Amino acid sequence: MKNEIKKITILPGVNKFGEKEKFEKIEIKKGEVVAIVGQTGAGKSQLLYDLERLAQRGTKSKRKILVNGKVPDKEVRFNPKRKLIASLAQSMNFFTDMSVGDFLRLHLESRGRKSRQGLIKEVVDEANEITGEAISPEMNLLNLSGGQSRALMVSDVANISTSPIILIDEIENAGIKKEQAIKILVEEGKIVLIVTHDPSLALSADKRIIIKDGGVVKISKTTPKEKGIAHYLNWIENYGLDIREKIRKGEEIKNVEIYCEPVKSKK
Amino acid sequence: MLKYIVNQLNLKNNNMKFIIFAGTPGSGKTSIIKHIIGELKNDFKLFFAKFDCLQTSDDERIAKEYGILAVKKLAGELCPDHYTALEIPKIIKENQNKDIIILETAGLCLRCSPYVKEGLGINVLDITSGDPSRYGPILTQADIVAVSKGDLISQAEREIFRAKVLRANPSAKIIEVNGLTGEGAIDIAEFIKESLDIKNEKLALKHSMPSALCGYCYGNRVIDENEEHKRASAGKELKNLIPGLNCGKCGYRSCNEFIRAVLDGEAKKNQCQFIKNK
Repeated sequence: MKNEIKKITILPGVNKFGEKEKFEKIEIKKGEVVAIVGQTGAGKSQLLYDLERLAQRGTKSKRKILVNGKVPDKEVRFNPKRKLIASLAQSMNFFTDMSVGDFLRLHLESRGRKSRQGLIKEVVDEANEITGEAISPEMNLLNLSGGQSRALMVSDVANISTSPIILIDEIENAGIKKEQAIKILVEEGKIVLIVTHDPSLALSADKRIIIKDGGVVKISKTTPKEKGIAHYLNWIENYGLDIREKIRKGEEIKNVEIYCEPVKSKK
Repeated sequence: MLKYIVNQLNLKNNNMKFIIFAGTPGSGKTSIIKHIIGELKNDFKLFFAKFDCLQTSDDERIAKEYGILAVKKLAGELCPDHYTALEIPKIIKENQNKDIIILETAGLCLRCSPYVKEGLGINVLDITSGDPSRYGPILTQADIVAVSKGDLISQAEREIFRAKVLRANPSAKIIEVNGLTGEGAIDIAEFIKESLDIKNEKLALKHSMPSALCGYCYGNRVIDENEEHKRASAGKELKNLIPGLNCGKCGYRSCNEFIRAVLDGEAKKNQCQFIKNK
Protein backbone atom coordinates (compact mmCIF):
# COMPACT_ATOMS: atom_id res chain seq x y z
CA MET A 1 0.00 0.00 0.00
CA LYS A 2 1.42 3.33 -1.07
CA ASN A 3 0.24 5.52 1.79
CA GLU A 4 0.81 2.98 4.50
CA ILE A 5 0.91 4.36 8.00
CA LYS A 6 3.70 2.82 10.03
CA LYS A 7 3.93 5.34 12.82
CA ILE A 8 1.98 8.26 14.25
CA THR A 9 3.77 10.91 16.31
CA ILE A 10 2.01 13.33 18.63
CA LEU A 11 3.92 16.53 19.39
CA PRO A 12 2.85 18.44 22.51
CA GLY A 13 0.32 21.25 22.55
CA VAL A 14 -1.27 23.03 25.47
CA ASN A 15 -3.81 22.10 28.14
CA LYS A 16 -6.95 24.12 28.83
CA PHE A 17 -4.98 26.60 30.94
CA GLY A 18 -2.62 27.25 28.03
CA GLU A 19 0.29 25.42 29.69
CA LYS A 20 2.57 23.32 27.50
CA GLU A 21 2.09 19.58 27.80
CA LYS A 22 5.00 17.90 29.56
CA PHE A 23 6.21 15.33 27.07
CA GLU A 24 8.62 15.42 24.20
CA LYS A 25 6.66 13.25 21.79
CA ILE A 26 4.38 10.23 21.78
CA GLU A 27 5.02 7.61 19.12
CA ILE A 28 2.44 5.00 18.25
CA LYS A 29 3.53 2.26 15.89
CA LYS A 30 1.57 -0.08 13.64
CA GLY A 31 0.25 -3.03 15.62
CA GLU A 32 0.41 -1.14 18.89
CA VAL A 33 -2.44 -0.80 21.37
CA VAL A 34 -2.75 2.44 23.29
CA ALA A 35 -5.29 3.20 26.01
CA ILE A 36 -6.45 6.77 26.57
CA VAL A 37 -7.67 7.26 30.13
CA GLY A 38 -8.84 10.14 32.26
CA GLN A 39 -11.89 11.55 33.99
CA THR A 40 -15.00 12.34 31.99
CA GLY A 41 -14.47 15.72 30.32
CA ALA A 42 -10.67 15.58 30.76
CA GLY A 43 -10.03 15.96 27.03
CA LYS A 44 -9.84 12.40 25.69
CA SER A 45 -12.06 13.24 22.73
CA GLN A 46 -9.89 16.23 21.82
CA LEU A 47 -6.87 13.94 21.44
CA LEU A 48 -8.84 11.61 19.17
CA TYR A 49 -10.07 14.60 17.21
CA ASP A 50 -6.49 15.84 16.74
CA LEU A 51 -5.46 12.39 15.48
CA GLU A 52 -8.46 12.12 13.15
CA ARG A 53 -7.76 15.52 11.60
CA LEU A 54 -3.97 15.07 11.66
CA ALA A 55 -3.92 18.41 13.45
CA GLN A 56 -1.17 20.87 12.55
CA ARG A 57 -1.36 23.28 15.49
CA GLY A 58 -4.77 24.43 14.16
CA THR A 59 -7.00 22.89 16.82
CA LYS A 60 -7.77 24.04 20.37
CA SER A 61 -5.00 21.87 21.82
CA LYS A 62 -2.35 23.21 19.36
CA ARG A 63 -0.98 19.68 19.01
CA LYS A 64 0.87 18.58 15.90
CA ILE A 65 0.56 15.09 14.41
CA LEU A 66 3.21 13.50 12.20
CA VAL A 67 2.68 10.46 9.99
CA ASN A 68 5.72 8.23 9.48
CA GLY A 69 7.78 11.01 11.08
CA LYS A 70 6.73 13.66 8.55
CA VAL A 71 4.05 16.35 8.19
CA PRO A 72 1.30 14.56 6.22
CA ASP A 73 0.48 16.01 2.82
CA LYS A 74 -2.88 17.66 2.17
CA GLU A 75 -4.10 14.74 0.09
CA VAL A 76 -4.06 12.53 3.18
CA ARG A 77 -5.64 15.20 5.37
CA PHE A 78 -8.60 16.24 3.25
CA ASN A 79 -9.48 13.37 0.92
CA PRO A 80 -13.13 12.61 1.74
CA LYS A 81 -12.73 9.00 0.68
CA ARG A 82 -9.96 8.30 3.16
CA LYS A 83 -10.95 8.18 6.75
CA LEU A 84 -8.03 7.64 9.04
CA ILE A 85 -9.98 6.42 12.03
CA ALA A 86 -12.60 3.70 12.08
CA SER A 87 -14.55 3.42 15.28
CA LEU A 88 -16.30 0.90 17.45
CA ALA A 89 -18.52 2.05 20.26
CA GLN A 90 -20.92 0.63 22.77
CA SER A 91 -23.79 2.73 21.42
CA MET A 92 -23.45 1.40 17.88
CA ASN A 93 -26.05 -0.83 16.28
CA PHE A 94 -26.79 -2.30 12.89
CA PHE A 95 -29.69 -0.64 11.09
CA THR A 96 -29.63 -2.48 7.76
CA ASP A 97 -32.27 -5.12 7.04
CA MET A 98 -30.06 -7.64 5.23
CA SER A 99 -28.28 -10.96 5.74
CA VAL A 100 -24.81 -10.89 7.29
CA GLY A 101 -23.22 -12.24 4.10
CA ASP A 102 -24.94 -9.77 1.76
CA PHE A 103 -24.11 -6.92 4.09
CA LEU A 104 -20.40 -7.76 4.17
CA ARG A 105 -20.39 -7.98 0.37
CA LEU A 106 -22.10 -4.55 0.19
CA HIS A 107 -19.46 -3.10 2.49
CA LEU A 108 -16.68 -4.53 0.31
CA GLU A 109 -18.28 -3.06 -2.81
CA SER A 110 -18.69 0.36 -1.21
CA ARG A 111 -14.93 0.34 -0.57
CA GLY A 112 -14.32 -0.49 -4.23
CA ARG A 113 -13.06 -3.98 -3.39
CA LYS A 114 -13.98 -7.22 -5.07
CA SER A 115 -15.56 -9.87 -2.90
CA ARG A 116 -12.79 -12.47 -2.77
CA GLN A 117 -13.94 -16.06 -2.48
CA GLY A 118 -13.77 -17.09 1.14
CA LEU A 119 -13.29 -13.60 2.58
CA ILE A 120 -16.87 -13.37 3.85
CA LYS A 121 -16.39 -16.71 5.61
CA GLU A 122 -13.13 -15.49 7.17
CA VAL A 123 -14.83 -12.39 8.53
CA VAL A 124 -17.64 -14.45 10.04
CA ASP A 125 -15.20 -17.04 11.43
CA GLU A 126 -13.13 -14.35 13.11
CA ALA A 127 -16.27 -12.80 14.57
CA ASN A 128 -17.14 -16.21 16.01
CA GLU A 129 -13.78 -16.30 17.81
CA ILE A 130 -14.90 -13.22 19.74
CA THR A 131 -18.47 -14.18 20.59
CA GLY A 132 -19.83 -17.28 22.26
CA GLU A 133 -23.04 -17.23 20.21
CA ALA A 134 -22.28 -18.44 16.71
CA ILE A 135 -23.01 -16.16 13.75
CA SER A 136 -23.74 -17.53 10.27
CA PRO A 137 -23.74 -15.59 6.97
CA GLU A 138 -27.45 -16.32 6.45
CA MET A 139 -28.57 -14.59 9.66
CA ASN A 140 -30.30 -11.24 9.39
CA LEU A 141 -28.20 -8.38 10.70
CA LEU A 142 -31.11 -6.98 12.69
CA ASN A 143 -31.60 -10.25 14.57
CA LEU A 144 -28.04 -10.41 15.95
CA SER A 145 -27.63 -10.05 19.70
CA GLY A 146 -25.57 -7.24 21.20
CA GLY A 147 -22.52 -9.50 21.56
CA GLN A 148 -22.87 -10.91 18.03
CA SER A 149 -23.23 -7.41 16.57
CA ARG A 150 -20.15 -6.14 18.38
CA ALA A 151 -18.12 -9.22 17.36
CA LEU A 152 -19.10 -8.78 13.71
CA MET A 153 -18.25 -5.07 13.87
CA VAL A 154 -14.76 -5.89 15.19
CA SER A 155 -14.10 -8.51 12.54
CA ASP A 156 -15.49 -6.27 9.79
CA VAL A 157 -13.30 -3.33 10.86
CA ALA A 158 -10.24 -5.59 11.03
CA ASN A 159 -10.77 -7.23 7.65
CA ILE A 160 -12.78 -4.93 5.38
CA SER A 161 -12.33 -1.36 6.57
CA THR A 162 -9.16 0.24 5.20
CA SER A 163 -8.76 2.81 7.96
CA PRO A 164 -5.37 2.24 9.59
CA ILE A 165 -6.39 3.43 13.05
CA ILE A 166 -9.15 1.81 15.07
CA LEU A 167 -10.73 3.68 17.90
CA ILE A 168 -12.53 1.63 20.52
CA ASP A 169 -14.82 3.70 22.69
CA GLU A 170 -16.36 2.27 25.84
CA ILE A 171 -17.08 -1.32 24.84
CA GLU A 172 -16.70 -2.67 28.37
CA ASN A 173 -20.10 -4.35 28.62
CA ALA A 174 -20.36 -5.63 25.09
CA GLY A 175 -20.55 -9.35 25.90
CA ILE A 176 -17.52 -10.22 23.76
CA LYS A 177 -14.06 -11.60 24.41
CA LYS A 178 -12.25 -8.28 24.45
CA GLU A 179 -8.68 -9.60 24.57
CA GLN A 180 -9.36 -11.74 21.50
CA ALA A 181 -11.04 -8.81 19.74
CA ILE A 182 -8.00 -6.60 20.19
CA LYS A 183 -5.69 -9.41 19.11
CA ILE A 184 -7.56 -9.71 15.81
CA LEU A 185 -7.28 -5.97 15.16
CA VAL A 186 -3.56 -5.90 15.99
CA GLU A 187 -2.87 -8.92 13.79
CA GLU A 188 -4.37 -7.07 10.84
CA GLY A 189 -1.74 -4.34 11.38
CA LYS A 190 -4.02 -1.67 12.81
CA ILE A 191 -3.10 0.95 15.35
CA VAL A 192 -5.61 0.45 18.14
CA LEU A 193 -6.67 3.29 20.44
CA ILE A 194 -8.92 2.45 23.36
CA VAL A 195 -10.83 5.06 25.30
CA THR A 196 -11.96 3.28 28.39
CA HIS A 197 -12.64 3.19 32.11
CA ASP A 198 -12.39 -0.61 32.12
CA PRO A 199 -9.25 -1.82 33.98
CA SER A 200 -8.84 -5.03 31.99
CA LEU A 201 -8.93 -3.15 28.69
CA ALA A 202 -6.70 -0.29 29.88
CA LEU A 203 -4.09 -2.69 31.25
CA SER A 204 -4.05 -4.89 28.17
CA ALA A 205 -2.75 -1.97 26.09
CA ASP A 206 0.96 -1.55 25.40
CA LYS A 207 0.88 1.89 26.96
CA ARG A 208 -1.62 4.33 28.33
CA ILE A 209 -1.93 8.04 27.92
CA ILE A 210 -3.36 9.78 30.97
CA ILE A 211 -5.25 13.01 30.30
CA LYS A 212 -6.25 15.74 32.71
CA ASP A 213 -7.50 19.32 32.20
CA GLY A 214 -7.23 19.04 28.42
CA GLY A 215 -3.59 17.95 28.38
CA VAL A 216 -1.54 14.75 28.47
CA VAL A 217 -0.10 14.49 31.98
CA LYS A 218 1.54 11.09 31.84
CA ILE A 219 2.42 8.26 29.49
CA SER A 220 2.77 4.88 31.19
CA LYS A 221 4.26 1.83 29.58
CA THR A 222 2.29 -1.20 30.73
CA THR A 223 4.46 -3.33 33.02
CA PRO A 224 4.61 -7.13 32.59
CA LYS A 225 2.84 -7.43 35.92
CA GLU A 226 0.01 -5.17 34.74
CA LYS A 227 -0.32 -7.24 31.57
CA GLY A 228 -0.63 -10.31 33.74
CA ILE A 229 -3.33 -8.64 35.81
CA ALA A 230 -5.17 -7.64 32.63
CA HIS A 231 -4.93 -11.20 31.37
CA TYR A 232 -6.37 -12.50 34.63
CA LEU A 233 -9.22 -9.98 34.63
CA ASN A 234 -10.00 -10.91 31.03
CA TRP A 235 -9.94 -14.58 31.88
CA ILE A 236 -12.51 -14.00 34.63
CA GLU A 237 -14.76 -12.10 32.26
CA ASN A 238 -14.46 -14.70 29.50
CA TYR A 239 -15.09 -17.45 32.02
CA GLY A 240 -18.25 -15.58 32.99
CA LEU A 241 -19.27 -15.51 29.31
CA ASP A 242 -18.72 -19.29 29.03
CA ILE A 243 -20.87 -19.91 32.09
CA ARG A 244 -23.52 -17.62 30.62
CA GLU A 245 -23.60 -19.74 27.46
CA LYS A 246 -23.91 -22.93 29.52
CA ILE A 247 -26.79 -21.49 31.52
CA ARG A 248 -28.55 -20.48 28.30
CA LYS A 249 -28.19 -24.02 26.99
CA GLY A 250 -29.79 -25.39 30.17
CA GLU A 251 -26.64 -26.93 31.61
CA GLU A 252 -25.99 -27.26 35.28
CA ILE A 253 -22.92 -25.40 36.59
CA LYS A 254 -21.19 -27.88 38.85
CA ASN A 255 -17.85 -26.36 39.77
CA VAL A 256 -15.78 -23.23 39.38
CA GLU A 257 -12.34 -23.06 37.83
CA ILE A 258 -9.95 -20.90 39.79
CA TYR A 259 -6.77 -20.72 37.76
CA CYS A 260 -6.27 -19.26 34.31
CA GLU A 261 -3.52 -20.07 31.82
CA PRO A 262 -0.47 -17.83 32.41
CA VAL A 263 0.02 -15.04 29.89
CA LYS A 264 2.27 -15.95 26.97
CA SER A 265 5.17 -13.51 26.83
CA LYS A 266 6.00 -11.86 23.51
CA LYS A 267 9.27 -12.89 21.90
CA MET B 1 -28.07 48.81 -18.60
CA LEU B 2 -31.58 48.13 -17.38
CA LYS B 3 -30.72 44.48 -16.79
CA TYR B 4 -27.78 45.51 -14.66
CA ILE B 5 -29.96 47.66 -12.45
CA VAL B 6 -32.61 44.98 -12.11
CA ASN B 7 -30.01 42.48 -10.96
CA GLN B 8 -28.55 44.72 -8.29
CA LEU B 9 -29.08 43.49 -4.78
CA ASN B 10 -28.13 46.95 -3.44
CA LEU B 11 -25.82 45.53 -0.82
CA LYS B 12 -24.02 48.09 1.25
CA ASN B 13 -21.89 45.37 2.74
CA ASN B 14 -19.70 43.56 0.26
CA ASN B 15 -18.46 40.98 2.73
CA MET B 16 -21.57 39.02 3.52
CA LYS B 17 -21.67 35.25 3.65
CA PHE B 18 -24.95 33.47 3.15
CA ILE B 19 -25.30 29.97 4.57
CA ILE B 20 -28.34 27.70 4.27
CA PHE B 21 -28.75 24.60 6.41
CA ALA B 22 -31.42 22.17 5.25
CA GLY B 23 -32.45 18.74 6.43
CA THR B 24 -35.41 16.71 7.53
CA PRO B 25 -36.96 17.35 10.95
CA GLY B 26 -35.01 15.66 13.73
CA SER B 27 -31.79 15.34 11.72
CA GLY B 28 -29.94 17.48 14.24
CA LYS B 29 -29.68 20.76 12.33
CA THR B 30 -30.27 23.08 15.25
CA SER B 31 -27.89 21.25 17.60
CA ILE B 32 -24.99 21.41 15.18
CA ILE B 33 -25.79 25.00 14.16
CA LYS B 34 -25.55 25.99 17.82
CA HIS B 35 -22.03 24.60 18.04
CA ILE B 36 -21.10 26.37 14.80
CA ILE B 37 -22.50 29.68 16.06
CA GLY B 38 -20.37 29.15 19.18
CA GLU B 39 -17.29 28.80 16.96
CA LEU B 40 -18.05 31.91 14.89
CA LYS B 41 -19.76 34.43 17.15
CA ASN B 42 -16.64 36.05 18.61
CA ASP B 43 -15.13 36.92 15.25
CA PHE B 44 -18.19 37.69 13.12
CA LYS B 45 -21.48 39.54 13.28
CA LEU B 46 -24.07 36.80 12.86
CA PHE B 47 -27.75 36.67 12.03
CA PHE B 48 -29.80 33.50 12.38
CA ALA B 49 -33.20 32.80 10.85
CA LYS B 50 -35.07 29.62 11.63
CA PHE B 51 -37.67 28.61 9.05
CA ASP B 52 -40.31 26.23 10.22
CA CYS B 53 -43.91 25.37 9.39
CA LEU B 54 -46.01 25.88 12.47
CA GLN B 55 -44.06 26.60 15.61
CA THR B 56 -40.52 26.91 16.96
CA SER B 57 -38.69 28.57 19.83
CA ASP B 58 -35.17 27.72 18.66
CA ASP B 59 -34.62 31.35 17.62
CA GLU B 60 -35.28 32.57 21.16
CA ARG B 61 -33.03 29.92 22.67
CA ILE B 62 -30.18 30.73 20.29
CA ALA B 63 -30.56 34.48 20.79
CA LYS B 64 -30.47 34.03 24.53
CA GLU B 65 -27.66 31.49 24.64
CA TYR B 66 -25.29 33.16 22.17
CA GLY B 67 -26.33 36.80 22.25
CA ILE B 68 -26.87 37.07 18.50
CA LEU B 69 -29.82 38.38 16.53
CA ALA B 70 -32.15 35.50 15.70
CA VAL B 71 -35.66 35.36 14.25
CA LYS B 72 -38.25 32.74 13.40
CA LYS B 73 -40.07 32.55 10.10
CA LEU B 74 -43.15 30.37 10.04
CA ALA B 75 -44.43 29.29 6.65
CA GLY B 76 -47.95 28.58 7.89
CA GLU B 77 -50.23 28.06 4.91
CA LEU B 78 -47.44 28.42 2.38
CA CYS B 79 -45.06 25.82 1.00
CA PRO B 80 -42.03 26.25 3.25
CA ASP B 81 -39.49 26.35 0.45
CA HIS B 82 -41.48 28.90 -1.55
CA TYR B 83 -41.82 30.94 1.61
CA THR B 84 -38.08 30.77 2.30
CA ALA B 85 -37.32 32.10 -1.18
CA LEU B 86 -39.86 34.89 -0.67
CA GLU B 87 -38.24 35.91 2.61
CA ILE B 88 -34.54 35.77 1.63
CA PRO B 89 -34.38 39.22 -0.04
CA LYS B 90 -36.01 40.83 2.99
CA ILE B 91 -33.57 39.12 5.35
CA ILE B 92 -30.58 40.33 3.35
CA LYS B 93 -31.98 43.85 3.12
CA GLU B 94 -32.61 44.07 6.84
CA ASN B 95 -29.22 42.70 7.86
CA GLN B 96 -26.75 44.71 5.83
CA ASN B 97 -24.41 45.09 8.78
CA LYS B 98 -23.92 41.36 9.32
CA ASP B 99 -20.94 39.25 8.23
CA ILE B 100 -22.66 35.89 8.11
CA ILE B 101 -26.35 35.09 7.68
CA ILE B 102 -27.34 31.57 8.69
CA LEU B 103 -30.70 30.14 7.57
CA GLU B 104 -32.09 26.90 8.88
CA THR B 105 -34.93 25.22 7.03
CA ALA B 106 -36.46 21.80 6.70
CA GLY B 107 -36.60 21.14 2.97
CA LEU B 108 -39.77 19.33 3.65
CA CYS B 109 -41.13 17.52 0.65
CA LEU B 110 -37.67 16.39 -0.57
CA ARG B 111 -38.65 17.54 -4.06
CA CYS B 112 -37.25 21.00 -3.33
CA SER B 113 -34.02 22.39 -2.13
CA PRO B 114 -33.76 25.87 -0.70
CA TYR B 115 -30.07 26.34 -1.67
CA VAL B 116 -28.95 29.34 -3.65
CA LYS B 117 -26.05 29.30 -6.10
CA GLU B 118 -24.18 31.86 -4.06
CA GLY B 119 -22.96 31.21 -0.54
CA LEU B 120 -22.98 27.75 0.96
CA GLY B 121 -25.67 25.03 1.08
CA ILE B 122 -25.31 22.49 3.88
CA ASN B 123 -27.46 19.38 4.14
CA VAL B 124 -27.68 17.84 7.60
CA LEU B 125 -28.35 14.18 6.93
CA ASP B 126 -29.35 11.70 9.64
CA ILE B 127 -27.40 8.49 9.04
CA THR B 128 -30.19 6.39 10.57
CA SER B 129 -32.77 7.73 8.12
CA GLY B 130 -32.13 5.09 5.48
CA ASP B 131 -30.81 5.02 1.94
CA PRO B 132 -29.68 8.52 0.91
CA SER B 133 -30.61 7.86 -2.73
CA ARG B 134 -34.23 8.71 -1.93
CA TYR B 135 -33.35 12.31 -1.20
CA GLY B 136 -33.52 14.71 -4.10
CA PRO B 137 -31.91 18.13 -4.55
CA ILE B 138 -31.68 18.72 -0.81
CA LEU B 139 -28.79 16.23 -0.90
CA THR B 140 -27.62 16.27 -4.49
CA GLN B 141 -27.21 20.06 -4.64
CA ALA B 142 -25.58 20.62 -1.25
CA ASP B 143 -22.02 21.90 -1.04
CA ILE B 144 -21.47 20.17 2.27
CA VAL B 145 -23.20 17.08 3.61
CA ALA B 146 -23.08 16.99 7.40
CA VAL B 147 -23.76 13.40 8.41
CA SER B 148 -25.29 13.22 11.90
CA LYS B 149 -25.84 10.44 14.43
CA GLY B 150 -22.90 8.36 13.18
CA ASP B 151 -22.20 7.33 16.75
CA LEU B 152 -25.32 5.16 16.74
CA ILE B 153 -24.44 3.00 13.77
CA SER B 154 -21.72 0.51 12.87
CA GLN B 155 -18.49 1.57 11.17
CA ALA B 156 -19.37 -0.60 8.17
CA GLU B 157 -22.72 1.14 7.67
CA ARG B 158 -21.03 4.53 8.04
CA GLU B 159 -18.65 3.64 5.24
CA ILE B 160 -21.46 2.32 3.05
CA PHE B 161 -23.50 5.46 3.73
CA ARG B 162 -20.55 7.63 2.82
CA ALA B 163 -20.12 5.84 -0.48
CA LYS B 164 -23.83 6.24 -1.25
CA VAL B 165 -23.78 9.96 -0.43
CA LEU B 166 -20.81 10.43 -2.77
CA ARG B 167 -22.67 8.53 -5.48
CA ALA B 168 -25.66 10.90 -5.13
CA ASN B 169 -23.48 14.01 -4.86
CA PRO B 170 -19.92 13.35 -6.07
CA SER B 171 -18.64 16.86 -5.33
CA ALA B 172 -19.95 17.03 -1.76
CA LYS B 173 -17.66 17.55 1.17
CA ILE B 174 -18.75 15.03 3.79
CA ILE B 175 -18.31 15.93 7.42
CA GLU B 176 -19.41 13.72 10.28
CA VAL B 177 -21.11 15.80 12.94
CA ASN B 178 -22.40 15.15 16.42
CA GLY B 179 -24.93 17.61 17.79
CA LEU B 180 -24.29 16.48 21.36
CA THR B 181 -20.51 16.78 21.48
CA GLY B 182 -20.09 19.38 18.74
CA GLU B 183 -17.82 17.10 16.71
CA GLY B 184 -17.47 18.46 13.18
CA ALA B 185 -18.60 22.00 14.08
CA ILE B 186 -15.05 23.37 13.79
CA ASP B 187 -14.72 21.88 10.31
CA ILE B 188 -17.98 23.39 9.10
CA ALA B 189 -17.07 26.75 10.66
CA GLU B 190 -13.80 26.61 8.66
CA PHE B 191 -15.70 25.97 5.43
CA ILE B 192 -18.04 28.87 6.24
CA LYS B 193 -15.06 31.20 6.80
CA GLU B 194 -13.51 30.11 3.51
CA SER B 195 -16.76 30.39 1.51
CA LEU B 196 -17.12 33.20 -1.01
CA ASP B 197 -19.00 36.38 -0.10
CA ILE B 198 -22.27 36.88 -1.96
CA LYS B 199 -21.88 39.29 -4.84
CA ASN B 200 -23.96 42.38 -5.35
CA GLU B 201 -26.34 40.49 -7.60
CA LYS B 202 -29.68 38.87 -6.97
CA LEU B 203 -29.43 35.36 -5.61
CA ALA B 204 -30.58 32.43 -7.73
CA LEU B 205 -32.06 29.12 -6.61
CA LYS B 206 -29.99 26.08 -7.46
CA HIS B 207 -33.11 24.09 -8.25
CA SER B 208 -36.52 25.20 -9.50
CA MET B 209 -39.47 24.64 -7.20
CA PRO B 210 -42.47 22.49 -8.07
CA SER B 211 -45.46 24.34 -9.42
CA ALA B 212 -48.37 24.42 -7.05
CA LEU B 213 -51.37 26.04 -8.65
CA CYS B 214 -54.36 23.85 -7.96
CA GLY B 215 -57.53 24.34 -5.98
CA TYR B 216 -55.90 22.83 -2.91
CA CYS B 217 -53.37 25.69 -2.96
CA TYR B 218 -56.33 28.00 -2.44
CA GLY B 219 -57.51 26.04 0.56
CA ASN B 220 -59.89 23.51 -0.97
CA ARG B 221 -60.40 20.59 1.40
CA VAL B 222 -62.99 18.38 -0.28
CA ILE B 223 -61.27 15.67 -2.29
CA ASP B 224 -63.24 16.01 -5.48
CA GLU B 225 -62.35 17.07 -9.01
CA ASN B 226 -65.19 19.57 -9.36
CA GLU B 227 -64.62 21.16 -5.97
CA GLU B 228 -60.92 21.50 -6.73
CA HIS B 229 -61.66 23.06 -10.11
CA LYS B 230 -64.21 25.48 -8.69
CA ARG B 231 -61.82 26.63 -5.99
CA ALA B 232 -58.93 26.98 -8.45
CA SER B 233 -61.05 29.17 -10.79
CA ALA B 234 -62.28 31.35 -7.95
CA GLY B 235 -58.72 31.69 -6.66
CA LYS B 236 -57.30 32.63 -10.04
CA GLU B 237 -60.08 35.15 -10.60
CA LEU B 238 -59.31 36.83 -7.31
CA LYS B 239 -55.61 36.71 -7.96
CA ASN B 240 -56.15 38.72 -11.16
CA LEU B 241 -57.77 41.50 -9.14
CA ILE B 242 -54.95 42.00 -6.67
CA PRO B 243 -51.43 43.16 -7.38
CA GLY B 244 -49.59 40.30 -5.67
CA LEU B 245 -47.32 42.61 -3.72
CA ASN B 246 -47.52 40.62 -0.48
CA CYS B 247 -47.73 44.05 1.20
CA GLY B 248 -49.45 42.69 4.28
CA LYS B 249 -51.87 45.60 4.65
CA CYS B 250 -54.85 43.25 4.53
CA GLY B 251 -53.63 41.59 7.71
CA TYR B 252 -52.30 38.49 5.95
CA ARG B 253 -48.64 37.91 5.28
CA SER B 254 -49.09 37.04 1.64
CA CYS B 255 -51.64 37.53 -1.12
CA ASN B 256 -52.16 33.78 -1.33
CA GLU B 257 -53.10 33.53 2.32
CA PHE B 258 -55.49 36.47 1.81
CA ILE B 259 -57.12 34.74 -1.17
CA ARG B 260 -57.61 31.56 0.84
CA ALA B 261 -59.17 33.54 3.66
CA VAL B 262 -61.56 35.28 1.28
CA LEU B 263 -62.57 31.96 -0.32
CA ASP B 264 -63.02 30.45 3.14
CA GLY B 265 -65.23 33.40 4.07
CA GLU B 266 -62.86 34.57 6.79
CA ALA B 267 -61.87 37.81 5.10
CA LYS B 268 -63.62 40.36 2.89
CA LYS B 269 -62.39 41.16 -0.58
CA ASN B 270 -62.17 44.88 0.14
CA GLN B 271 -59.67 44.29 2.97
CA CYS B 272 -57.17 44.49 0.13
CA GLN B 273 -56.37 48.18 -0.27
CA PHE B 274 -55.96 47.75 -3.98
CA ILE B 275 -59.43 46.25 -4.59
CA LYS B 276 -60.96 48.82 -2.26
CA ASN B 277 -59.47 51.76 -4.14
CA LYS B 278 -60.44 50.43 -7.53
